[in-house]
Amino acid sequence: MLVDFELIERAQRGDSAAFNEIVQVYRKRIMGTITRLIARTEDVEDVAQEVFVRLYFSLDQLRTPKVFEPWLYRLTVNAAYDYLRKQRRRHEFRMSDLSEQQVMLADAAAGGKADHDEQQQKRIREAVDSMLGAVSEADRLLLMLKEVEGLSLKELEKIYKVNENALKVRLFRARQRVLKAFGASAQGQAG
Amino acid sequence: MYPGDHGNHEEELDALFRAYREACPDREPGVNFMPGVWQRIEAQQRNTFSFLHMAQAFATAAVAATLALGVYLYLPQNSSARAGAYQQNYLEALADANSVETPDIVGPLRLDLRQSANQPGR
Repeated sequence: MLVDFELIERAQRGDSAAFNEIVQVYRKRIMGTITRLIARTEDVEDVAQEVFVRLYFSLDQLRTPKVFEPWLYRLTVNAAYDYLRKQRRRHEFRMSDLSEQQVMLADAAAGGKADHDEQQQKRIREAVDSMLGAVSEADRLLLMLKEVEGLSLKELEKIYKVNENALKVRLFRARQRVLKAFGASAQGQAG
Repeated sequence: MYPGDHGNHEEELDALFRAYREACPDREPGVNFMPGVWQRIEAQQRNTFSFLHMAQAFATAAVAATLALGVYLYLPQNSSARAGAYQQNYLEALADANSVETPDIVGPLRLDLRQSANQPGR
């Protein structure tokens, strides 16, 4: 835990200074998690703000400060999930407006500005995002939390409020799908 | 850890996830992050307050309308009770009209046959 229980209890009682302190401590970590979950850097701050607004209004429902971090992660996952659902609708609309050539030109212009490292990182992000397209958004978030954020099954159990076996099955299936997509992309590159 | 026919890709996939973690490092939020959070909180509180305000006004109006309807439904019944109209059913009204004291001028005709037999000349 990055903060002590007393600070959380003070925030629960409506202490604005305590709430501010919690946000200061967790905002960087939450923004990092959201960056990896939604893979769109320009909207990360917006989603992170939404997470802390939801935290503010749901703090009184937190039974014990012991479960604060899984609670915050749960809010983060839900906000990211809501964002992805909205974004998918907007994206479909936006991409349908552009011709294939326009999309390629936009990508080339964006690539020209970035230096080599950034391009490399961009390629990695795109490769992972493309592979994760093989699973549902819910499974994408679950895989991210497990494989990229490094959360344990116990932690995931608290976030998702389902038993460990159900999580294992879901993770296994999601990973198998991603592996299949990964294998197909590796074969495509080799061929 | 995850058995399957993708064995050789397992490690590559793990490495790719690690690279992804490094390609998306934790970010420092901008200077307007906290003011933005509080603006959103206050906006939501205002919305909640105005909704509660509207809900209270609606509830008050509903109570007032119920009372008014209650009074309206009660008053006509009370005035008709004072007037004494339509307070009895048909049988009660008929019984009142033909009470015991009232002469039975339309009662059934009774014939005393013994009396007429004792009369001479018949």
